[in-house]
Amino acid sequence: MSLTAFPPPPSCTDYDDLRQEVRAFLAEELADFPPEKRAESWNGFSRDFSRKLARRGWVGMTFPKEYGGHARSALERYVVSEELLAAGAPVISHWIADRQSGPLILAKGTDDQKRRIVPRIAAGELCFCIGMSEPDSGSDLAATRTVATEVEGGFRINGTKVWTTYAHVADYMILFCRTGKSDDRHGGMSQFLVDLKATDNIQISPIIDLGGEHHFNQVVFDDTFLPSDALLGEKGEGWSQVMSELAFERSGPERFLSSFALIEELIRLLREDATEAQQAEIGRLSAHLMVLRQMSRSVAGMLNEGKNPSLQAAIVKDLGALFEQDIPRLARSLVSRPAVPNGRDSYAAVLAFTELAVPSFSLRGGTREILRGIIARGLGLR
Amino acid sequence: MDSMIHDMADRLFRDHVTHRLREDAASGQFPEALWMRIEEAGLAMALVPEAAGGFGVLPGEALGLVRLAGAHGLPLPLAETLIANAVLAGANLALPGGRLTIAEGEALRLERRGEKIHASGHLTLVPFARWANRIVTNAVLDGADHVLSLPVKELALDPAQDLAGMPRDDAEVDLALTEADVGVVSRPVEGMRALGALIRSLAIAGAMETILEMSVQYANDRVQFGRPIGKFQAIQHYLATMAGETAASRTAAEMAAVSYDTPAFALTVAAAKARAGEAAEKVGALAHQIHGAIGYTQEHSLHHFTKRIWGWRDEFGTELDWTGELGRAALSSPHDTFWHFITDSAVQGAPA
Repeated sequence: MSLTAFPPPPSCTDYDDLRQEVRAFLAEELADFPPEKRAESWNGFSRDFSRKLARRGWVGMTFPKEYGGHARSALERYVVSEELLAAGAPVISHWIADRQSGPLILAKGTDDQKRRIVPRIAAGELCFCIGMSEPDSGSDLAATRTVATEVEGGFRINGTKVWTTYAHVADYMILFCRTGKSDDRHGGMSQFLVDLKATDNIQISPIIDLGGEHHFNQVVFDDTFLPSDALLGEKGEGWSQVMSELAFERSGPERFLSSFALIEELIRLLREDATEAQQAEIGRLSAHLMVLRQMSRSVAGMLNEGKNPSLQAAIVKDLGALFEQDIPRLARSLVSRPAVPNGRDSYAAVLAFTELAVPSFSLRGGTREILRGIIARGLGLR
Repeated sequence: MDSMIHDMADRLFRDHVTHRLREDAASGQFPEALWMRIEEAGLAMALVPEAAGGFGVLPGEALGLVRLAGAHGLPLPLAETLIANAVLAGANLALPGGRLTIAEGEALRLERRGEKIHASGHLTLVPFARWANRIVTNAVLDGADHVLSLPVKELALDPAQDLAGMPRDDAEVDLALTEADVGVVSRPVEGMRALGALIRSLAIAGAMETILEMSVQYANDRVQFGRPIGKFQAIQHYLATMAGETAASRTAAEMAAVSYDTPAFALTVAAAKARAGEAAEKVGALAHQIHGAIGYTQEHSLHHFTKRIWGWRDEFGTELDWTGELGRAALSSPHDTFWHFITDSAVQGAPA
């Protein structure tokens, strides 16, 4: 499989009815949802919205029916995902669980874990966070120091996780930590399913981002006891389990639609009267967006066929971040109107929010440098 | 490779399209023997219906040949002949065989003079015109689109070439055509510009895949400071950027190819040519940066590919032309939101 080949995905016309249903639902649910809230994109949090979405069957769509899912294809899920993102719906409460934690539990979990957790994800009731980064382990995940020591009936966890998005509200964390020594840098790692609401000795404290928002947290495990059945998958197989999540994490439409609220605001201003230069810039943006969407849908098609397109996913994320980070520059080059945080003018407010959000796009979910290293190795560099 | 015709074409090109052959073609020698092989293999008929001599494969697969020809820097009008045959077949005109080319014919005037139709005007930078038997183009007669098949020997050519030294000739048209050379199309055809943009997008994607492969190879082989230069993060990032641009261009071109002959074609081809043209800048520049001085010589084959992508991006509409087209469609779209325009672009095509 050539790295630069993204096989054309199946036609999306098959799912037109689904798309129209989702649009009608969003038009009603988000009728009064202002542009500056939509600008938060998939970082917007609403348990209520996630539950309503689940009642329509749009959470856990690809999960098997016996675990509360709907046994639909990755491409149907894709249609729902991109419609939610394009509308700026507040989805983070279920997003991570639906995208990667649920599929991970289904793939690696015990029958008991699947029965206990997955139906509640599909009901939109559970919010997940990911415990990967640490103070001394950011891009270098193999430098993880948090350790799980086997004790009677379970494990004792010690260590600190950081940049843990929505840990302060989440119900569960998928914790990545060390369970043994290994000569292989990637060996001796495991994943745990941590019930944040029912586990003692976990201290979660906020880290406020430069925009004044509270998404990040520091999570300290201080001799925290986890029962044996918290282990997720094979002990010592944590590294390969995490790697198999990455194609799900990196290829979706959230990797190029994070600035979409600003695009809609910009086009609203240009619709009436655009110069040729402005038209050409909007055309360039359209071309990039059409192509990114095709690449991302192609990866969804490959995932649907059970392939592991993690290299293609890295390409989608690298190109997607460049695209969504470029939108404030593009807007400023076409419209002369200052950014005003929380301003009354919706364009100015959305521009301000987006300008402050974009630096994170090439940090989260794998930095640009990490992605490019992965792509370069995939090309056959020795 | 999962296509038999791609496999066959790739083998044929690999065996016969050498650095030397490209050099000779750039200095004016027409590679006749290679053309004979291509014609014998029937590659130029891939896009016509099976009844007319085609392979009976979907357009996406037939057009994949154009990407492969680009990947080998084929100095022959295979892509042009492939499209010209499909256009002639679509207008129920005879397929003359041999080498054909295409041109944008908007500047031509057609008028009826008795039994004959007189065509006059000027065609500019027609690909491979001097090596072709006929130029296929379209123009308006009686208010309707018509396909024309112009015999090159009856035109006055003014030779010029593209950046890679391939013939791009101006043609003075002033001749009487018979009904056999003029076809009425039963439904609106895509303009020659869009069809030309399609084949150039595919060829750019193919050539960029070769450029990327050459650059990876060079980065692995070239040792400086005691290690292959591919060990340096700066070089790795150049290559990763090239891979992203190449993958985006190929995806864009294939998106247009699979929508050939559907309502979505008008917008997907605009996106494809704009995206591939933009990528040609970055990919060419980074490939030369990685190759250093040796890549800037005539002796090294890199220039056959970089000059081709830089030439092709200028033909059948530049990035400026196609982004303008796409931007006007987006901003005048009757859809409620820009998002609806984007989702519809993949299936419905341009708003009426």
